[in-house]
Amino acid sequence: MMLIPNRGSRRTSMVAGVTGLALLLGACGGGGSKADNGKDAAEGYDPAAQVTLTWWTGQPSEGEQKAEELAAEYMKAHPNVTIKTSSGAATTDDLLTKLSAGFTSNSYPDISYGYGSWAGELATSGKTQDLAKFVADPSFGWQEIPAAARETATYDGKVIGVPALVDNLALIYNKKLFDDAHVAYPTDQWSWDDFRAAAKKLTNPSQNLYGTAYSVSGSEDTTWHLWPMLWQRGGKILDGNKPAFNSEAGVGALELLRAMAVDDKSMYLDQTDEQYAKLFNDGRIGMMMSGPWALLEIKEAGLDYGVAQLPGYNGDHQTVSGPDLWVLFDHNDANRAGASRDFIKWLTSKETDAKWNLAIGNLPLRSSEQGTPEFAAYVKEYPGGQKFFENLANAKQARPTVAGYEEMSRNVGDGISKVLQGAAKPKEALDEAAKKSAGAIE
Amino acid sequence: MTLTFAASKYAPAPAAAKPSTSRKLRRTLTGWAFAGPATLIVVGLSLFPAVWAFFISRTKWNGIAQPTDIGWANYERLAQDPDLAAAAQHTLVLTVLFVPGSIVLGLLLAIALNQRIRLIGFYRTCIFVPYVASAAATGILAGYVFNPQFGLANDVLRRAGLPAQQFLESPRQALVVVCIVALWGEVGFTSVVYLAALQDVPKELIEAATVDGAGKWRVLRSVTLPQLRPVTLFATVWQTITALQLFDLIYTTTRGGPMNSTQTVVYYVYELAFQTRRLGYGAAVAYILFAVTLLLTALVIWRSRRSGEEAF
Repeated sequence: MMLIPNRGSRRTSMVAGVTGLALLLGACGGGGSKADNGKDAAEGYDPAAQVTLTWWTGQPSEGEQKAEELAAEYMKAHPNVTIKTSSGAATTDDLLTKLSAGFTSNSYPDISYGYGSWAGELATSGKTQDLAKFVADPSFGWQEIPAAARETATYDGKVIGVPALVDNLALIYNKKLFDDAHVAYPTDQWSWDDFRAAAKKLTNPSQNLYGTAYSVSGSEDTTWHLWPMLWQRGGKILDGNKPAFNSEAGVGALELLRAMAVDDKSMYLDQTDEQYAKLFNDGRIGMMMSGPWALLEIKEAGLDYGVAQLPGYNGDHQTVSGPDLWVLFDHNDANRAGASRDFIKWLTSKETDAKWNLAIGNLPLRSSEQGTPEFAAYVKEYPGGQKFFENLANAKQARPTVAGYEEMSRNVGDGISKVLQGAAKPKEALDEAAKKSAGAIE
Repeated sequence: MTLTFAASKYAPAPAAAKPSTSRKLRRTLTGWAFAGPATLIVVGLSLFPAVWAFFISRTKWNGIAQPTDIGWANYERLAQDPDLAAAAQHTLVLTVLFVPGSIVLGLLLAIALNQRIRLIGFYRTCIFVPYVASAAATGILAGYVFNPQFGLANDVLRRAGLPAQQFLESPRQALVVVCIVALWGEVGFTSVVYLAALQDVPKELIEAATVDGAGKWRVLRSVTLPQLRPVTLFATVWQTITALQLFDLIYTTTRGGPMNSTQTVVYYVYELAFQTRRLGYGAAVAYILFAVTLLLTALVIWRSRRSGEEAF
């Protein structure tokens, strides 16, 4: 409890300060060298060289097990390559913190899973490889991967990784609730007005039934549901380096959500990101905008459900995709860089991806996988899977790959959550979010 | 501390026989051998990060790209940040509710637990158990109890014929509910401290007061409470620091929501540094919080020293 420093401790703290400063300067000096010298990271790669790769999969136990099986399969075919596989962090969200610590201590992996929204930040680390030439080779089949996912992997003309997972948002609905309320099922031609009207009819406060749901936690989950509605109205997230979501398109999209949440009260507002899917599975929510990841739990809940593409504005039904990436890092070792490229090429190939993404319940990475038996099995297990696969074609734009996206997303999320809870008007909330974010996007 | 202590203890001995330089050196080394490990831990895990954080606070850094030095710009931004002002306000409200609350409740419980009744040991244990439970577990439990749809709290209200409340999901109520949960967890601490202090109040004083004709209430007000003043001072400082640092409970109950209504300064730092990755600005906010805590504590201690109390 000694809070006022006595003489001895003052001296110690001075010594500590000097030591700290010396260590800090040392750390800065070590981290200063940049690999970005125009040379390709894998130049002079010898495919027969002995290499050890570290692979952070970012997967929970089931996916991690599958990943280890695949790594073992690859090592069997390539005895000179050893792949050390681990999930990398306790949750996928923690991977970025682990990577950031790894960059400081120079112990980052060769390949890591990463959310698409991190791509801008990872690209500025100076530790990523540039795969632009590598994926341009026709044998890679880069064009078979959805455009939005390819765009996410690209920062300033450099390709920092290969998409690991593709998904998109569509409208999942509970057939029983529609039948009970005598409302026709959603169709692919629905407009947002149809959506609003149906939600209102499905809502029944006395039975705790809601037409739809929206997360108001203020996280990326809150924010990215707004993007497709913004794009459909011809709006943009960024205009160059300036936030542009507070345009008329953005305000109009948010006004529709506000009217549903505040005027109609047909929207369950989830303070966490975790409740609304459970309530949907519980038969309390009629429709939710969600992705293919929701299908597993819906299936387990035994719900009779359908999937339609998102409602549209003037016939535009585009959606948003949240692709994740395998990010490849440079260790100034051509053999490691080359081997990690070869491994990822194999992992994301049509044959292997069918055994990977489809097996763990994700959409296939490549359009060419449609004919595989694994895809047929996937669609049989998850009846909505086919619709989500088709809906990939509606993912025409990507979230911007820029450093500072996370901060902007937080500001927009806070704004949306205020509006939906009746504490702000759409225009003022989005203007404020744009003003706050201006400094973050540079 | 260890060093000074060791030196003073051994100091008288060499007065008899003058030590050689090698013996002196050996003594110094022995001293450092004892103090070294602890010093290393303190320097490595507390002081070094603190100093480093100061350098980070003068940069714009996302933890991944190279930091850019921006001088005092982060500190200049502090003044104009509406989110920080809101977070400071929430922290203030929380502290103002929590500190007096935990002291008054703690004192009342301590007086109740100081009676000679049956099973007193059991009651004392019951009061202390929530303090031992981790705040994370407390927070998760509170989430169940205060769930607006299925929670126990609303069930009780319904039975009492009162309208159901939104609790943690209402921007108006959430902070108060968090404070109540924090009190539930922390009041065990103040009551145990007061209980110990109550047993140290000299019996003679109480007896003398009773002989002089003072009633129970008068004894409490004029004898017991003044005797408890140093403990109250200690508890105030301690609980203020606890309130200013409250994080785990907020993380497990509301994550700063709804609409950032429970976002305290500490939670804001977490959000800045680890959610939106503005490490430089986050470090600057952390430094301001540190300065304010230090100032408050120093002020309280200075005042107490001036009035001759011996709490620290």
